[in-house]
Amino acid sequence: MAIELGQMAAQAQTRWPGRVRADTEQDADCAYRIECEPQALPEVCNWLFSDLGYSFGGLVVEEAARWELRYLFYGDREQGWVHVIARLSADQTRVPSVSTLIHAADWHEREAEDLFGLVFEGHPRLGDFVLHNDTWQENLTPMRRSFDDRKPAAWRTPDSDWKPRQIVEEAGAFLMPIGPIYSTATGPAHFVLETIGEDVIRAQPRLFYAYRGLEKIAQGRAAEDLLLIAERISGTSAFAHSLGACQAVERICRIEVPPRARVLRVWAAELERLRHHVGAIEGICESTGLVVAAAQAAIIEEDLLRISGALTGHRYFFGLNALGGLTIDLDDCALLHAAWQVKAAVSRLSELERMLSMSSSFLDRLEEVGNVGASDAREFGLVGPVARASGVSRDLRRAHPYLGYERVDFDVPCETEGDGYARLRVFFGEAAQSARIISAVSSSIPQGAFRAPQVSLGAGAALGWVEAPRGAALHWIRLADDGVVDRYRIITPSFANWHGFRLGAERFAFQDFPIILATFALSVHENDR
Amino acid sequence: MSQWVIKGLRTGIKSTRYPNVAETAAGVSPGFPAETNLGGALAESLVAGCPTRALGLGPQGVEVDRRRCVHCFRCIRGAKRPLDWESGYEWARIGADGAHRDHRLGRPFGRSVHILVVDAGDCGACLNEVKQLNNPYYNMHRLGFFLTPTPRHADVMLVVGAVTEHMRHALRKAYDAMPTPKRVVAAGACALCGGVFGPSFICGSGAAEVVPVDVEVPGNPPPPLAILHGLLVAVGRRPPANGAG
Amino acid sequence: MAALLIVILALCLAGVLLPLAVGEHRIAAIVGWLGAFASSGLLWFGGASLFAGASFHSELWTIPSLVTLTLSLDRLSALFLFIAGLVLLPGSLFAAGNLRGYLGRYSLRGFSAAYFALFAAIVLIPLSADAVSFLMLWESMSILTYLLVNFEHETQDHTRAGYLMLGVGEAGTLLVALGFLVLSGNGALEFAAMKTTAMSASAHARWAVFLLTFFGFGVKAGLIPVNFWLPQAYTAAPAAFVPVLAGATLNLGLYGIIRVNGVLLPAATVGPGLVALTIGSVTALLGILYATTQSDLKTLLAHSSIENAGIITAALGAALVFVASGHRAAAAIAFAAALYHMINHSVYKTLLFFGAGSIESSAGTRDIDKLGGLIRNLPLTALFFLVGALSISALPPFNGFVSEWLALQTLLQSAALKSVGVKVAFALCGAILALTAALAVTCFVKAFAMGFLGMSRSEPAAPAGERQASATAAMAMLAVLCIVLGVAPTYVIPVLDRALTPMGVEARVADALVPPFFAADAHHHELPADFVADFRALGAQLGQSVLPGRGLVVLRRGGKANPVIFAMSTSYMAIVLMLMLLVAAAVFRGVVARRRCVVRRPVWAGGIRRLLPGMTYSATGFSNPVRVIFEAVFMPTTVEDTRRTIGRHFRAVIRRTRQENHVLDRLVLDPAADAARWVANGFARMHHGFLNAYVAYGLLALTVGLLIARFS
Repeated sequence: MAIELGQMAAQAQTRWPGRVRADTEQDADCAYRIECEPQALPEVCNWLFSDLGYSFGGLVVEEAARWELRYLFYGDREQGWVHVIARLSADQTRVPSVSTLIHAADWHEREAEDLFGLVFEGHPRLGDFVLHNDTWQENLTPMRRSFDDRKPAAWRTPDSDWKPRQIVEEAGAFLMPIGPIYSTATGPAHFVLETIGEDVIRAQPRLFYAYRGLEKIAQGRAAEDLLLIAERISGTSAFAHSLGACQAVERICRIEVPPRARVLRVWAAELERLRHHVGAIEGICESTGLVVAAAQAAIIEEDLLRISGALTGHRYFFGLNALGGLTIDLDDCALLHAAWQVKAAVSRLSELERMLSMSSSFLDRLEEVGNVGASDAREFGLVGPVARASGVSRDLRRAHPYLGYERVDFDVPCETEGDGYARLRVFFGEAAQSARIISAVSSSIPQGAFRAPQVSLGAGAALGWVEAPRGAALHWIRLADDGVVDRYRIITPSFANWHGFRLGAERFAFQDFPIILATFALSVHENDR
Repeated sequence: MSQWVIKGLRTGIKSTRYPNVAETAAGVSPGFPAETNLGGALAESLVAGCPTRALGLGPQGVEVDRRRCVHCFRCIRGAKRPLDWESGYEWARIGADGAHRDHRLGRPFGRSVHILVVDAGDCGACLNEVKQLNNPYYNMHRLGFFLTPTPRHADVMLVVGAVTEHMRHALRKAYDAMPTPKRVVAAGACALCGGVFGPSFICGSGAAEVVPVDVEVPGNPPPPLAILHGLLVAVGRRPPANGAG
Repeated sequence: MAALLIVILALCLAGVLLPLAVGEHRIAAIVGWLGAFASSGLLWFGGASLFAGASFHSELWTIPSLVTLTLSLDRLSALFLFIAGLVLLPGSLFAAGNLRGYLGRYSLRGFSAAYFALFAAIVLIPLSADAVSFLMLWESMSILTYLLVNFEHETQDHTRAGYLMLGVGEAGTLLVALGFLVLSGNGALEFAAMKTTAMSASAHARWAVFLLTFFGFGVKAGLIPVNFWLPQAYTAAPAAFVPVLAGATLNLGLYGIIRVNGVLLPAATVGPGLVALTIGSVTALLGILYATTQSDLKTLLAHSSIENAGIITAALGAALVFVASGHRAAAAIAFAAALYHMINHSVYKTLLFFGAGSIESSAGTRDIDKLGGLIRNLPLTALFFLVGALSISALPPFNGFVSEWLALQTLLQSAALKSVGVKVAFALCGAILALTAALAVTCFVKAFAMGFLGMSRSEPAAPAGERQASATAAMAMLAVLCIVLGVAPTYVIPVLDRALTPMGVEARVADALVPPFFAADAHHHELPADFVADFRALGAQLGQSVLPGRGLVVLRRGGKANPVIFAMSTSYMAIVLMLMLLVAAAVFRGVVARRRCVVRRPVWAGGIRRLLPGMTYSATGFSNPVRVIFEAVFMPTTVEDTRRTIGRHFRAVIRRTRQENHVLDRLVLDPAADAARWVANGFARMHHGFLNAYVAYGLLALTVGLLIARFS
């Protein structure tokens, strides 16, 4: 499967002579670039994905003098990143779809079609995705440069006849609509469940009710202000996303982050991961109606929020990351104290894990429920704990270390069953690993500056990646000469995992639906952006 | 299952004593910049550095519009002369639409209030803070607050998030579906003025564009105690914050 | 009386002949008028005997040394004629409106001829008092119902359903004929003569007669395992005719069972009664299970008819057990329960079939999955259908409640029996019937709610409103009957009591069921004085001033020392319910509505922009839990799950088809057919063409025949 480094370029060029031009060496982003003509896209991408075992990261569309479509792939550490780039002339909007070969690209292409008006030929499900057709007129392309994002929407002419597609053909089949306002405190999402009663035959989430157009409103802002937006992609993983954005900008402008800031960033990122996973565990306990366990997890979550708040001033790490480091230095004593508090919280978490593993009525609701197979998980491009519960173990902290993760000793918990209980175990396992990292780095924080002394912004483009609590998050940033954001592309783990949510939700009964939803620990905010 | 009963009992009482006694634990609130008597170029640079125009220059020095503040900390961290900072969490104020009405829901509704949470497109932090209201620390049930999934049972609507174009219709529908008397509490900078997101082609500049807002809870996100205060203000059991803002 | 009968038959003859002389478009009206007159006459004829004790006996024609063809009216026959009149009167009115829909597609002349010929057969079958005329009429009924079921003969399904019904019907007739032959013993074919000879019948002969006639008549009555024709035939039958099937011919099947096993040859052992009880209970359960999961309204009603036939048969079985064990009063109650339920079923099922017919003609479909929201287009039909649905769901104060209460109470009377085995059987069957009653509620909540409430699930042209006044009038008539039969059981039971006289049960049911608390003084001869005093102290005497006379049905258990009372009063219930409704309405109007304004808002559906009809529960979805819980019964034989995808993961379509073989087909018919085929193959193997083998068969047959002749 793996291929000798440097040979990939030669192989690509011999397989598609004259149609593909590939770099033989990694660039500063540890990435190989393969430029190919649009018609060769599906084959090249499929070669990387199916033959060489790369994961599909996402699709970045950039509008300049020409359309530039960048398909991001990443493999294990030695495989590096591969950017497959296709260019179209400005007036050309049709490009062959790779989705029928790489299903993980499905939603990326739908989004690009909806927002840019590019047509992916061969994609069977274009239209009504980010912009709902019952709210917006068709053929509106807000991500194009010509579209003014400041003006409130005055040109809404909704398609009042729009209705969800129904594909189940069975006597008595009907659609069960849920949401967008449903349950007690949930993000806005709409589900169309096709059923004949009892069992969900087809689950189709309709998202983007929380679409805030972040990629669009980021354009033209100063790089510094970009972090405000990055933090608010998903409030519950704010630090991870701002870190992704910081890394991209730092890479563009060759900003050297001081060692102390790198360790502090690891510290905060792992605390955030721990807190997110405790929240996910709480959600799972609550969905099964096990209130005492949910309350125990909630206590731990609130403890961790208070630790964050006391240490950094904000419970969700807003305003902590800065280009080139952090906005404030954290006191070593306070960090040690906080690490000790985290340790205490995690020991209560492992006690909770022990008790849950002995509650058979709780396990009955999770075991063999919401199964996602390994091959499906790979083909849908699932990421993070959800993928690791199905045996897809790729973790960006390991595959492409950043912040010095390569020197940190930790395990990547992985399960193979792919059911709800496997996901719960992965959450517990990763939470324990995060606590381990926190206690390991707390004792050896280097002294020095917490922020790069001077930050000079320049033009360029780079990819920042981070293993966010929910999985791989990629931030593609292009800065113009004056350091103003030209293009900000956010690829979030929830986007990938929502796409695969149906794998787990279908074939199971209605009463399992909220439990399966909880075990996926999805965020609509992170997905919708 | 008895192990859970024992576990629950052994955990003991965790709930805060707010609103009877002020909560003093660390990390329950991010706080706000305080109005600081400051003028000149220092003040101007602070005001210019505020990304959401929450700071302004007034006769008393730097004025803070809490509704717009998103806790970016730029006015204290790295600033030559940082603003004063004030902690606390009793921030809720009567909104523009609330001033015209009697802000008390009336005795029959004050002690058992059912709350519909509508996320009209936020980043998830406000929503997560609302969820914390159910945890043992804040335990909103002890105050007679209950979350309900349907507007048909709701007395109070708690809106978070700048209203996106996709949620505008649903928010209005939910408000219309609530029986009277009803109150709307908007929580978070996004729901008050659009925050970082709005106004834009897709986000409005707050919930007040769609539904009449009775109580405003600033913060980004407002911590659970601030939201709790907002709810208590909405049912007339705590006075609204006065002064700054 | 004879003159009246002649008038009725003459009207029927007119119904056969007159349409030949007039234009096609007039025939519907003729069917309506003639049918209404004939059935009014029938009501009078039956009522005269039932209420006034009139009798009728006529020996038509004596065929020497064979039989005297006799028509005779006793009260049992009178009851069945009266019920037939109750069904046929609104039935004819409904037909007058409904038949117009066939103009230009099918010949109404044929319909009218068959309809009135069948009318005559229905009138004469209960009257015939000898086996020959009975069988002749029975046979003609079979053929005429076949013709009418197959009226819409251009649909292949209908033709197949008709053939199936004819075939099974013929087999049933054959069994009945054999039963009569065994019963006749010395060759007398008049019922009166049979009754006297039957007394001396051997135990084997009794069993043979019971089994032959029970299953022979059971074909028409819709009992397992010989009812597989019924759902198809009911579904195929035209809307104007299907009530006759459910309200008249089904009853005649039961009439046959009662006539033979209740009157001619009363059971001497508990065995036949237990068979009837068990078969009835299982029929009821299977009937309602299949009804609940149907989505075709007419098929649903057909399966529900099977359920009701089962309940009636179960009560009959209990009656036979009580007769055999000498508990005459209990037997009388059981018979009364069976007959009461039969009347009720005839009335509400006719009503529901009319409702289904109206729905079909206005919405263009009977598929409940596609209906919905019809209450806005058909408000009156909805109201009457609701009355029918509440009645059939056995909810008080409607008529179904009374008879199901009686039937279940009857099974509780088993305490009086001695054999533990029989008691256990009663308890089990009681449990099955209780489950049946619960499922019936599910079934008809589904039928009503999915048909009339919510949104229309398909989007056809707006369904037409109620155009046919005659159809509405017919339904109104039946709805009123449902309520009257429900709230005045104490007036119905004495009438049933009179119909029981041919059964020879001695104690008068009226005495057992309606102790004269309200009429008599405190010194009732069967109850202790202090008990009666207690009862009066509880307020029972209030009824005397508030309600007319009797308002309470009381069943009594235990000895005189310690009477346990099971009492039920739908009359009181109706009044109390009405008062509660009025009070609630008054409170709402006076208190709630005065202080708060009522605001109407659209349905809350999670805030989606548009709630589509396809986003509400379908009928199949509603009843799917039943299908899941009783998976072992339904046992789908094929579930096909075809998924067509584009690439590997884009699903273009998920097509699932599910085929269920009826549990009877699976367990009884298919094995029987296989066995028959196996035997036939065996015979085929014998036909190998060797002459000597055929000679050997002949000799063998001769030897066996001689042996049988020698030892029998």
